[in-house]
Amino acid sequence: MIMIVLVGLNHKTAPLDVRERLFAGCQETTHLSGSLLSIDGVTEALYLSTCNRVEIVANVEEDSEARAALKDYLIRLGVLSSGDVGEFLYLHEGEEAIRHLFRVAASLDSLVMGEAQILGQVKDAYRQALAENATGVALNRLMHRAFRTAKRVRTETGIAANPVSVSFAAVELAKKIFGTLGGKKLLVIGAGEMAELACTHLAANGAEKITVANRSAAQAVALAEKFHGRAVGLGALDETLGDTDIVISSTGSPSYVITEQMVAGCLRKRKNRLLFLIDIAVPRDIDPACGKLGNVFLYNIDDLQSIVDENIKNRKREAIKAEAIVAEEVANYTDWLRELEAVPTIVSLRRKAEGIVDREMGKAAAWLGALTDGEREKVEALVNGIVNKILHGPVTAMKEESAQTRAQDIVAAARQLFKLDD
Amino acid sequence: MSSTETVFLMQALTCTVLAVAGYLLSILVKRVLVAKISTWILAAVFAFLTANLVVAAVNWEGWDQIGSRHYLVFYAWAIAGIYLGFQLKTKTRVLGVFIAPLILLLLLAAVGLAPNRSLLPPEWRGGLTTVHLVLSVAGEVLFVLASAAGAMFLMQNHLIKNKTQGKMSRLLPSLGDLDRINFIGLAWGFVLLTTGIIIGSVYAVFVWEGPWASDPRVIWSFAVWVAYGFLLHQRLAIGWKGVRVAVLSVIIFVLLAVSAVVVRFCLPSLHSFI
Repeated sequence: MIMIVLVGLNHKTAPLDVRERLFAGCQETTHLSGSLLSIDGVTEALYLSTCNRVEIVANVEEDSEARAALKDYLIRLGVLSSGDVGEFLYLHEGEEAIRHLFRVAASLDSLVMGEAQILGQVKDAYRQALAENATGVALNRLMHRAFRTAKRVRTETGIAANPVSVSFAAVELAKKIFGTLGGKKLLVIGAGEMAELACTHLAANGAEKITVANRSAAQAVALAEKFHGRAVGLGALDETLGDTDIVISSTGSPSYVITEQMVAGCLRKRKNRLLFLIDIAVPRDIDPACGKLGNVFLYNIDDLQSIVDENIKNRKREAIKAEAIVAEEVANYTDWLRELEAVPTIVSLRRKAEGIVDREMGKAAAWLGALTDGEREKVEALVNGIVNKILHGPVTAMKEESAQTRAQDIVAAARQLFKLDD
Repeated sequence: MSSTETVFLMQALTCTVLAVAGYLLSILVKRVLVAKISTWILAAVFAFLTANLVVAAVNWEGWDQIGSRHYLVFYAWAIAGIYLGFQLKTKTRVLGVFIAPLILLLLLAAVGLAPNRSLLPPEWRGGLTTVHLVLSVAGEVLFVLASAAGAMFLMQNHLIKNKTQGKMSRLLPSLGDLDRINFIGLAWGFVLLTTGIIIGSVYAVFVWEGPWASDPRVIWSFAVWVAYGFLLHQRLAIGWKGVRVAVLSVIIFVLLAVSAVVVRFCLPSLHSFI
């Protein structure tokens, strides 16, 4: 009997140090999926290990001790104490396990809901398990259904549509203004952490020629070197502004670092090219009046945060649609799984019938031999026709019943009626 | 116009209605996918109009059969073709919101007009005038595109400036792309219209030798040339970009469109075959 179970822990249930230990354990162990198969009662298995979660998905025999053994396996792997287990580890069975896996693949269970990385990690995990020959019919189908669910959630809902971090929101805005960031010139004022993060994202999206302006020259040089840019003093802002497309400012200055006069003055030199000013400093670095100038776009930290808040709200709304897709896919898979339970019985029923036909035809060989080839074929067709008609009823009943509920009862009845276990 | 031509024209018209509805819907539901589908429908419009023009060329029975309908279809065909050509370069499908209704108006006029209502004067029939017409029309179409991009620039600019980031802003192309389309439209439009006007003038002065300089349509074309030429000059020489160019593009388009209607329907013109 097929029973899908999922054992593991994630960022919601376990603290970072526990996840780290388990993650390290997974990294050190080779052929982890394959070795799971040596656990008594485990017929198929794969493990997923990322910085936010370690999970084992397995097909286990229903009455076996495999669940407890899988938990023990994780405890040993992460060198955890048994006391932690109740608190950190979760065990899902049947539909719940399937739903959990689908939600993970669709990024509904991620720290940042809708992030794209997790699907790649789930695919890698499956590839690894395939390489170790650790999966079979049930898990192969389960994983393909998980990928399909993730793809549907991604295309049919807007869960991954908009950025949910301030720096990504800044990148998206820059794209909305410039189209492409390739070759755009970036000026970073202040060498703080936030500025560096935004700078990293903008550079990753193609922004080039980065200039860092800071009160402390040493810090400016350090940050500039990181992005292969150049460092200038705050005094050179006027001059640099004329040759810049995007400005990120995050100094601790109590007064405006960029004034309206500075921006208005540089517009002519800039030949009216679009200018995007990002002010992530508190108190503000850039005079809000700059935003009123033509072809100049000014966003401060609150503006960016409100975009992010709005997007998070949108993702939560979209998650409701995503959950409905997950529920639909879980139902599809469990239907298939139930049908699968009836398959061995249907196969042995057909085999038994074929055996009877062969034996009886053998007994009748003497008089069958007297018939012409054409007549013999007609007799064989007649016999096979009768057998198929008789089997049609029980086979369909088993399929239909198993698609709706667990097939155990009807399968057991069929095996008893047709004496398939003798 | 033969029956096959009419069939193609009606199919083009039906598809244009669908495309206009699609583009408007895409703005309403704010989904790019709808605009994408509408662009494919517009590609079908282009195909039907091409078929219509090919059939017209195959059934060629001399200039007597060429009337206003053909010119309007040609206008619509050129607009659709140039717009679709732009789609290969920049993914700015929503621009169709402006372009598709224009094509619809032209096709409705084409269907409404009797095919032989006004004919090309006999002395104007020939290769040079055809080149003059094709280049002038293409140039004017590119100016229309530049103005449409300008209008969308203003919408997007308004949304980003006021920090109303929503589905609408995501649906519209980026400011950089729109400004680039405005520039390409102006630059190529200017080159084509200039060449078209020169060829027309050379023909009128040296071959036809008729009264042309005081013709309303000629004066209108000259006004178009001066207005968009001024914009292009400001872009190239003074370095105008963004909002200012966009505002002027829209204003110039509105003024010229109104005067075009006045010129076409209220004033007698040598060019009233178009």
